[in-house]
Amino acid sequence: MSGAVSIVDAPPSAATLYIRALATVVAGRKGGDALPQRRVAATIERVDPDRVAEYARVCGFRLRDELPVTFPHVLAFPLALSLMTADDFPFPLLGLVHAANRIEQKRWLRLDDSWTFTAWAENLQPHRRGRTFDIVQEAAVDGEVLWLERSTYLARGGSGGTGGEARTSGEQRAPEGERYGVGARLRIPADIGRRYAAVSGDRNPIHLSALSARPFGFKRAIAHGMWTKARCLAALEGRLPGAFDVEVSFRKPLFIPGKARLVTRKIPGGWDLALTTPDGTRPHLLGTIHERGA
Amino acid sequence: MSPVQVRRAAIVGGNRIPFARANGPYARASNQDMLTAALDGLVGRFGLAGERLGEVAAGAVLKHSRDFNLTREAVLGSALAPETPAYDVQQACGTGLETTIHVANKIALGQIECGVSGGVDTVSDAPIELNDDLRRILLRANAARSPLERIATLARVRPGHVIPSTPRNAEPRTGLSMGEHQDLSTRRWEITRREQDEYAAASHHKLAAAYEAGFFDDLMTPYLGLTRDQNLRPDTSVDKLAALPPVFGEREGATMTAGNSTPLSDGASTVLLASESWAQERSLPVLAYFVDAETAAVDFVHGDEGLLAAPLYAVPRLLQRNGLGLGDFDFYEIHEAFASQVLMTLRAWEDPVFCKERLGLDSPLGTIDRDRLNVNGSSLAAGHPFAATGGRIVATLAKLLHDKGSGRGLISICAAGGQGVTAILEAA
Repeated sequence: MSGAVSIVDAPPSAATLYIRALATVVAGRKGGDALPQRRVAATIERVDPDRVAEYARVCGFRLRDELPVTFPHVLAFPLALSLMTADDFPFPLLGLVHAANRIEQKRWLRLDDSWTFTAWAENLQPHRRGRTFDIVQEAAVDGEVLWLERSTYLARGGSGGTGGEARTSGEQRAPEGERYGVGARLRIPADIGRRYAAVSGDRNPIHLSALSARPFGFKRAIAHGMWTKARCLAALEGRLPGAFDVEVSFRKPLFIPGKARLVTRKIPGGWDLALTTPDGTRPHLLGTIHERGA
Repeated sequence: MSPVQVRRAAIVGGNRIPFARANGPYARASNQDMLTAALDGLVGRFGLAGERLGEVAAGAVLKHSRDFNLTREAVLGSALAPETPAYDVQQACGTGLETTIHVANKIALGQIECGVSGGVDTVSDAPIELNDDLRRILLRANAARSPLERIATLARVRPGHVIPSTPRNAEPRTGLSMGEHQDLSTRRWEITRREQDEYAAASHHKLAAAYEAGFFDDLMTPYLGLTRDQNLRPDTSVDKLAALPPVFGEREGATMTAGNSTPLSDGASTVLLASESWAQERSLPVLAYFVDAETAAVDFVHGDEGLLAAPLYAVPRLLQRNGLGLGDFDFYEIHEAFASQVLMTLRAWEDPVFCKERLGLDSPLGTIDRDRLNVNGSSLAAGHPFAATGGRIVATLAKLLHDKGSGRGLISICAAGGQGVTAILEAA
């Protein structure tokens, strides 16, 4: 990867960045054809255990010295946000659809690790409904990259329209007469979007309330994709080795409050994950875990 | 019926997380978090990932109603095979030792080959219940047969009902806290302030020395930044302890302070037990054997015995059944609920009148060599997360016996409700 790395002492405040993001929507600015080449980096000396505890509680993880595999995403989130809200970023933040997320982990990251996070954007691709790009974030401990995340976002429309429709996020019905399988019943509370926003810094209005979601084309608030991923992984407590890759795609939006079915299936060397409608026919999230060295 | 063969249950090892003071580093951890952490540390230490064990028995004294299956839930979230059965036990501060007795007995009878005992407690994340009147009104409203009846029932809710009830460290039948109960016993046995402070200071110094010697290196998994018991004060002294004000009982003549009583604590402990053949097949060590156990209870409500005096009765019965004298042990582990509880125990067993009138013995039970008592410190220094103390003591004593290579040890743990759990371990 080429491009300058700008080091920031501490990740910028997510709240400030959201205000900036709202401003770009209002101004209708943005466009352009290229992703910025630069990288942003920040060092985190020590994680606040209270923050981990709060995150674990909201997502269903146990509080332990090994961090939830999805937790670094929220630690690094302000970096991604600073890239996506900067003037040289071609798409407006609000209105982007989180389409997929892949995390590779070499070992459990621990509470007492000190990390350097680096984030950049790459892989701009045409898509039938717009364009997609990836935000890549990596966490290095003592110079070794132990955790790497690739989030794929869809920017809908030609050159950055902000309108959105709930159904555009990829419904996929299971083949006729087939379901994704039996599984656990999840009751997702009405405030999960606000609670996850508080622990993640991701205060996208589509997650907070019906009122704030409506201008973006959703009739009710929808759960954060990364919360659904975290919740699925929390269900595999005790079953995962330290080194694994987990790749998910986000499908039909999950309206909150709501119910869902969580299906986990052991496959050779890993797991298949599905978070579906309560009847098991339509997916909110589909994913696969590959254990490394398996 | 086939005859039951009894075999020896072996203690393979133990693992706990360091104990924290209430509202300290574990303030955000639940019982399930801590028990899982201690259990996974044990699994890692002995290479048990993916193994189906005979059972896991543990418990907590302060427990949320949602944690009805606490131990099983911890097992499901651990690296153990999900096919490992588990259950909860609650016998106040005796919980950890009582679970060890359960698992050891099943191994002895050949019902299981291996198992884990343990316990966990948090004071920081204690359950808070609805006001009891409100709870009753809500239950009645829920059972109401008509909307009118429901409304009439709910109309009985009063503003004062919003005040929840928190768990209290008090005996339900006497309304006295454990400290207040022990204050009565302390006065009865005339245990002086100085004796208690000297005893407490020694507990800290012995625990500190054990840490320095690396004794706990293979008995502990660090958790949330703690690597040793938070309550430990290596530099405490009798003079420092003497400066603390008494906190229990009537002020006149009160001697029990925050320094010579155990602090409210958070923590978890586990012990791995097995048949000898199971341990051998896996090339795992046998630290000690679980020999026998005796539990006693006293009438502290209407009788005139102290709340924490039950071990005084349990141990003589245990000794008699095993043909042993009080002096026949290399190590004594007496749980330090309060310095005065330990000192009272020693004094009672030396007292001819108590031993004759209460224990029915012709001569005093005997004297315990102080150099063999709680040699690596105990609850005064380590802290005392109620149900976790038994596992801490069993693992500590088993390792002491293993290091010595011979001999036997006695465990005595007093518990709320006027109960006492005691046991004998023997070197392997």
